[in-house]
Amino acid sequence: MKAEATELELSHGLAHLVDDHTILVRRTLRSGQRLCYNGNVVILGDVNPGAEVVAAGNVIVMGVLRGVVHAGANGNEEAVVLAFRLRPTQLRIAGHITRPPDDETTAPDQPEVARIRDGVVTIEAFPGWLPGR
Amino acid sequence: MGEVVVITSGKGGVGKTTATANIGAALAGFGHKVVLVDADIGLRNLDVVLGLENRIVYHLVDVVRGRCRLRQALIKDKRYDNLFLLPAAQTEDKTAVSPEQMRELCAELQEEFEWVIVDSPAGIEQGFRNAVAGAQKAIVITTPEVAAVRDADRVIGLLAGEFDLRDPKLVLNRIRPRMVRYGDMMSIEDVIDILAIELLGVVPEDEQVVVATNRGEPVVQDPRSRSGEAFRNIARRMKGEAVPLMNLDREGGWVEKLRRLMGFK
Repeated sequence: MKAEATELELSHGLAHLVDDHTILVRRTLRSGQRLCYNGNVVILGDVNPGAEVVAAGNVIVMGVLRGVVHAGANGNEEAVVLAFRLRPTQLRIAGHITRPPDDETTAPDQPEVARIRDGVVTIEAFPGWLPGR
Repeated sequence: MGEVVVITSGKGGVGKTTATANIGAALAGFGHKVVLVDADIGLRNLDVVLGLENRIVYHLVDVVRGRCRLRQALIKDKRYDNLFLLPAAQTEDKTAVSPEQMRELCAELQEEFEWVIVDSPAGIEQGFRNAVAGAQKAIVITTPEVAAVRDADRVIGLLAGEFDLRDPKLVLNRIRPRMVRYGDMMSIEDVIDILAIELLGVVPEDEQVVVATNRGEPVVQDPRSRSGEAFRNIARRMKGEAVPLMNLDREGGWVEKLRRLMGFK
């Protein structure tokens, strides 16, 4: 487990994903449900429209993220949001608030990661492979 | 010992009452002993849809308050001898009943009927809480619209979280296959994708429902109606039969038929 995390760190510069304060949520968050956590959140399921995830740390969704997500809610600009399918209603990292462009109807069918680069929230493809595989 | 099923949706106007009436009538048509409970106190409709409005003497609140016996408030359907209605009060409001009282009422009905089907009011406040209180199973009904799906999702979350109704079944109502085909309406897959619960049935949009409902007759009685067939299928699935989803593309007028003849799908 530890070895894998190190590989992740080497390959994608996501060292800060590894942390002690992390919870695992084994269900889908549905409309009206709100999850707040003072640390990282990993969701094994979807985050549906109308649901909200607020985390002091990073947010990882092993499913479709369609709701509102706020990573680094205490002002941590290093926080990232990673989802199998990133389709948020609104995406916030620390003090930055973004939403998908109005004219964009299709999104790539692959995992993506959102983070702040040079003061701007950027979204990029998450490679989805680990070295040594 | 029967089963108490609540039919709910969150959003109003998606077809809870119509579905309750038709599923109930279909189950009764298959020979089951069924009671429909209108939990929409203050805005009762189920009696109208069934055409039984003029027979109401006592209602649910009377029963709960002990002003009459349960048997006195039950109204026998005109068409089916084994279908009964427990009407809601029109002059009271949702606070007239408590979840605890609904639980007792459902337990009592369950002793005598094979199916107790509760028509829930729209919303997620006390009326909904009352309707859900006595149920062992839930059917969530939605239409292929973003707002209706959102509310259905909210309700599914509440059912699982607060009421311990973990596996609600989905009925997708008023779907228009042609609009889906042209990408103008959410498809069955789109809805399932978000809600991720088991599909109990799909009911196509059908003008016949409007006609039948206004006349106070369940559309399941009409053997040619597409939506009636869909509701009969839902009832059969509730009984545990495996019935495939009907082919929605069968609809359509001569244009569709010509198109199919010419080999366009």
